[in-house]
Amino acid sequence: MIARVALGGLAWLTLAYLAFPLVVILGASLTTTEFLAFPPRGLTLAWYGRVVADPSYVGAFWTSTWLAALAAASAVLLGLPASLAIARHDFPGKAALAALLMSPLLLPHIVLGAALLQYCVHVGIARTPLALLVGHTVIVAPFVIRAVLPLLTAEQRALEEASMDLGAGPFQTFCRVTLPLVRSGVVSGALFAFISSWINVELSMFGTTASMTTVPVKLLNHVQYQVDPLIAAVSGITILAAAAAIVAIDVVFGLDLLAERK
Amino acid sequence: MTRLPAFLGALRRDMPWPLLAAPLLFFAAFFAFPLAVVLVASVTAADGGGLTLAHYARVLLDAYHWDILWLTLRIAFVTTAIAMMLGYPLAYYLVRVVEARWLRRACVVLLVIPLFTSNIVRSFGWMVLLGRVGIVNETLQGAGLIERPIRFLGSETGIVIGLVYILLPFVVLTTGNAIAAIDRRLEEAASDLGAGPAQRFRTIVWPLSLPGLLSGAVIVFTLAVSAYVTPALLSSGRVTVFSMLIYQQYASVFDFHYGGALSVVLLVATLLLLWAAAAIDPTRRRT
Repeated sequence: MIARVALGGLAWLTLAYLAFPLVVILGASLTTTEFLAFPPRGLTLAWYGRVVADPSYVGAFWTSTWLAALAAASAVLLGLPASLAIARHDFPGKAALAALLMSPLLLPHIVLGAALLQYCVHVGIARTPLALLVGHTVIVAPFVIRAVLPLLTAEQRALEEASMDLGAGPFQTFCRVTLPLVRSGVVSGALFAFISSWINVELSMFGTTASMTTVPVKLLNHVQYQVDPLIAAVSGITILAAAAAIVAIDVVFGLDLLAERK
Repeated sequence: MTRLPAFLGALRRDMPWPLLAAPLLFFAAFFAFPLAVVLVASVTAADGGGLTLAHYARVLLDAYHWDILWLTLRIAFVTTAIAMMLGYPLAYYLVRVVEARWLRRACVVLLVIPLFTSNIVRSFGWMVLLGRVGIVNETLQGAGLIERPIRFLGSETGIVIGLVYILLPFVVLTTGNAIAAIDRRLEEAASDLGAGPAQRFRTIVWPLSLPGLLSGAVIVFTLAVSAYVTPALLSSGRVTVFSMLIYQQYASVFDFHYGGALSVVLLVATLLLLWAAAAIDPTRRRT
């Protein structure tokens, strides 16, 4: 009994620890003072108004979003065929290839960012949108592969063979059989890819410029010199967007990740 | 040597090139090749001359770098240990104790929101909380627990608090997943055979959930070793971790050779520790 109460207490303290900083940011973004204050003094949405009126922040939101969307799309275009190759074919060096494609999850992003910067200086595309995009694609592609690969099972293969036996061509089989069966993996992998790209700092900070910068990098540069409610408001927007995305995922997929399997 | 033509033949015949050409080319061009460029830069002289190990000597023969590497690893170890200690009970609680489905879902949402938010934003929250006039210090002072504000920002403690916060959800999710997959009938059988709750936990739940806990710990450790943003924001420039050295070289000093050597050292140190962790993994032998 005592153990159960202690466990519950520790669990709720830990949950509070997880929620607290986000609550503080959201609270501090509502202050009427010129400096950060929590609890906020007075309530106003003026700081949000300033963010929306600041073209550099609006630009950064656009950059982050198209970058994440393109990176997620490229990750699907590369990750889906790679997953199919790994699941459906036997070839020399398959394990090594799978390890190579998954390794961006393991390697320090700062090393990868530095490497890409140096490489892109050689190739002549340093600090261009293309350089940012290829870097983001590399680090988010593993999410797609990890989500799709477990869905490509032997039973599914049987369905594909049945489709071919019944006269469908490879392309038709892919569109009618394979794709619908892995759709949930593609969607969740692409979603993780999009979010991981959107929030990335450690790679992006080597690739951005004053005129082309992502929200996290802009925040990093701002926070290192000045901490004010404007930062809290920008952060608040990203927190609310994340919360909205997660609730949407919860409604669509059911986020009961920790339910016991019966 | 006779095997080489056979291997090349197999490559031509068996490789699903239509599927693999694009991913392979892309990863070669923008992943393998850039890393190779770093490796080459780290062993060539700055004036474009021949091979040299001078950059590695500069990194490895300087006690300062060892201090920083040790500090970085220490922060990563402490972060991993605390995340495991907090994460396991929370995962167990959410899976086994929380009955209401909506409550567990709400908690999962709460766990995942930080993962969907940039670590800049999350570290920034702690900058506000841990400052000299932040809430943590004001509360402790108000309660009469301390007389003068504690300096969290710019200390290892502050960095660990921030990193544990950012990385904890990984442990909870991997461990919770493992606990949720345990077949309750095993425990019922143990109970029928006379095992008490403590014994059931020790002999069934703990060993079966250990792989989840360890895989979470590996994620936390690798991310903590290479973390840049959280230490940079919470150190106030007073504590330097290894990733900051790398960033300095690439972003302000522009010494790609010396920076390359630093990158390779961090990479090798991380991979060595992961390899060691896999080698002593207690869950591996049993299976």
